[in-house]
Amino acid sequence: MLSVEGLVVRYGPIEAVRGIDFTVNRGEVFALLGANGAGKSSTLAAIAGLVKPFAGRITYDGKPVSGLPPETLSRAGIGLVPEGRRIFASLTVAENLWLGGAAHGSTAERQQLQKEMEERFPILGERARQKAGLLSGGEQQMLAIARALMARPKLLLLDEPSLGLAPQMVEKVFDLIAAMRKEGLTILLVEQNVPMSLQIADRGIVLANGHIVVSGTGVELLHNSDVTNAYLAA
Amino acid sequence: MMTKLTAKLAAVLFGTTLLAAPALAEDFVIGVTAAQSGWLATYDQPSYAGFKFCIDEINAKGGLGGKYKAVIDVRDTRSDTAEAVKVAQEFADKKVNFIVSPADGDPTMAMGQITSPAGIPTMTFAGTAPILTSVGEFVFGSYPGDNQQAAVLGAYAAELGYKTAWLLKSPDSSYTMKGPEYFGQVFEAKGGKVIGEGSFTLNQPDFSAIVTTIKALDPQPDVIATWAWEPDFPAFIKALRGAGVTTPVMGADVLDTPTVRGLGDVVNGIVHTSGGYPEPGSKHADFNARFKAATGMEADTNYVVNGCDIALMIDAAVTAAGSSDPKAVRDALANLKDSPGNMSNFTFAGTDRMPLRAVVLAKIENGQKTFIRRQLADPATMPKP
Amino acid sequence: MEVFLQQCVNAISLGGIYALLALGLAVVFSIVRLINFAHGEVMTIAGYAIWLALLSSVPVVAAIILGITVAMLASVAMERIAFRAMRGASVTSLLITSFAVSEIVKVLFQNGISARPVPIVLPAWMSGSINMGFLTISVMSLISIIVVAVSLVALSVILTRTTLGVAMRAAAEDFPVVRLVGIKANHVVALAFAISGALAGVAAVLWVAQRGSVDPLMGAAPVLKAFIATVLGGLGSLSGAVLGGFVVGAVEVFLQGYLPESVAPYREAISLSIIIGLLVLRPDGLWPAQNVNRS
Repeated sequence: MLSVEGLVVRYGPIEAVRGIDFTVNRGEVFALLGANGAGKSSTLAAIAGLVKPFAGRITYDGKPVSGLPPETLSRAGIGLVPEGRRIFASLTVAENLWLGGAAHGSTAERQQLQKEMEERFPILGERARQKAGLLSGGEQQMLAIARALMARPKLLLLDEPSLGLAPQMVEKVFDLIAAMRKEGLTILLVEQNVPMSLQIADRGIVLANGHIVVSGTGVELLHNSDVTNAYLAA
Repeated sequence: MMTKLTAKLAAVLFGTTLLAAPALAEDFVIGVTAAQSGWLATYDQPSYAGFKFCIDEINAKGGLGGKYKAVIDVRDTRSDTAEAVKVAQEFADKKVNFIVSPADGDPTMAMGQITSPAGIPTMTFAGTAPILTSVGEFVFGSYPGDNQQAAVLGAYAAELGYKTAWLLKSPDSSYTMKGPEYFGQVFEAKGGKVIGEGSFTLNQPDFSAIVTTIKALDPQPDVIATWAWEPDFPAFIKALRGAGVTTPVMGADVLDTPTVRGLGDVVNGIVHTSGGYPEPGSKHADFNARFKAATGMEADTNYVVNGCDIALMIDAAVTAAGSSDPKAVRDALANLKDSPGNMSNFTFAGTDRMPLRAVVLAKIENGQKTFIRRQLADPATMPKP
Repeated sequence: MEVFLQQCVNAISLGGIYALLALGLAVVFSIVRLINFAHGEVMTIAGYAIWLALLSSVPVVAAIILGITVAMLASVAMERIAFRAMRGASVTSLLITSFAVSEIVKVLFQNGISARPVPIVLPAWMSGSINMGFLTISVMSLISIIVVAVSLVALSVILTRTTLGVAMRAAAEDFPVVRLVGIKANHVVALAFAISGALAGVAAVLWVAQRGSVDPLMGAAPVLKAFIATVLGGLGSLSGAVLGGFVVGAVEVFLQGYLPESVAPYREAISLSIIIGLLVLRPDGLWPAQNVNRS
């Protein structure tokens, strides 16, 4: 569904991603692991169109998509839940959801989907008219994911969805990921919670300094000592 | 510094040679500052158009004093005094024969501080602040001064039976500040009384607060006098009439523009001074016709004809001096007496270089400028600058 | 008392115009980080459009609508021609670009029409006044206040009830994420400039109606005040811009009305000192925007 070949991302003279290759298959959860600064978020940003790759090819659904603007990629079915959630704090919860689907589908479809989201995440329904900035961290994460789902993505990029959440919220997030996979969504997951990610991931790779150091199935990686080393080395 | 030193050396070493060179004496270079933009453009542009037109006419007839070809070096000041000063320095370095400065007293005074010590006669396009000539012996006015205009206007206000006046001033320019004050002096000398005054900022966005103050005056003044110009005057008069205040308003020569006359009902009945009025058959009317025929443009303000008269003044001075030497031209200019102009004749002799010229009183009626009368300021009541 | 009430009306009327202009600056700044000094020229363009329309005997109402439409198009065109190429550049580069646009437009009017003001004559009833018993209000002030109120309500409807309007508010917070959900950046930016231009157009109508003339520098002075208002309100904050506009207008009117004659020449200095004083007390502005600094 998504293939990345020789991806290089640069910010001025700083090379964040130094030529990585991987493929994400339809319907799987693919984990992208690594220490801080390993190049995970930059990889997601390049796939979602927030930064232009310096070199390399990104293919989505068989079509080259590298360098396309984020709005085009969103319309093509790539959704990103950014790190730090980045919900629109001054807008209401309902407005956040509405914007999530604004560029997708008819008004009726959007209203239907919004209702579904509010059923799936009851807290969002209850607080629909409140400013999103007033939600707790976990609730904001739910909103960020729901907002991305409003665009009916086929490929969902999740950037550190459990970061800074209370333990029971973290569990909720992983339950949600599992549920979304069941519904047929392809998920590219960036996480610092390595054990939980690898328990849920079908496959994954570990990045260090912009390179892939190890790749394999979730179970393989869970038992690979290089994975822990990659974190320690950072 | 370098240039001055070099110039002195050159004068010592080659002085005689330079003076003897006949080819140089043919041209009479006039440095002109005319703002292409900014508020001064309103006055500089028509002045320059008239000036250029008559310089061309003079050149066609054999040049200034019948022998010197007038060459104009015109520069844009963007209505910026600092830019005017820079240009003045360039003109001084270039040793032009004559300088025509912007149509306002303040930049003219700033330029005069350079050009007067440099010994170059400098005449303002239409600056009327009488103090403008105080910066130096080489600085001249061309339009009837504010004190002359105020003497005529103030006397007329008293003559109409007005007993009380209210003055609207702006400290931002000597014109808008001193003009109403001169008016007040003359008005009081003629038995009237100034009962109050207000101040505005040039280009002030809003006049509603001033108008509210005027409206609350008890008793109301018989007349309001101001030297405000565009776009402040239109804004003021619109706000004043909009608030229902019908007190007569008097103003100065800056109101002599089609824009003011085009404001509609709100300017009906406004009395203002002016440098001239093109009565049929007058030289002024003849000039306007020639100007229109040649340029296709209407000489719709007096600044056009006054620009032409500046050319005539230079011509008269050069003729009288019989030379292009700046000092000789300056002395001849300062001694001109009742010399003929299109708008009115001009006398510099006996003045401190602000010409004594007739002042016209005009009234705006239904968008037209109507003639009231023409008179010379009474020296007895004319305020001292 | 009557004078005081009258000055209050003046303050609201003038402040309202500043609020419209400040809002126009803030709408654009909040989204593209551009302090648009060419905003004043949008006003000037509207003024000349009205002048030309009236000169061609177009009815007043049509001329006014035309003026506002032209302002809107001019603002969008400025974005398209000058600012889009600079998108993402530093605040300083954008500011300098806007100065350039402003100068170009001014020179075009100076050389194309005239450096001198041109008169605009509106129907006589518009420059009359209404006696409301204890208070006489000029028709223009009344129109001004009503028009400003209607414009503010209309804008808030756009910003809360339309998708692009909501997207604009979101973009002010976090533009990249708005794009991430698939909303086209160019649409949001164009809407911001259109709203900004329309507000400048409305301000221009009120301005020329009160002042009776249009000149190439017409927009410069009020937009400078509006800029002060946006800073005072909190740069990038829409509510702040409106509040700032009214505060600047009130300070200007009350100082003009009540300052003793002897200190009147220092009015501008005093008014700016008051504003600096307010900013010292509230450095982020009276009503700061949320997340202004998040990129």
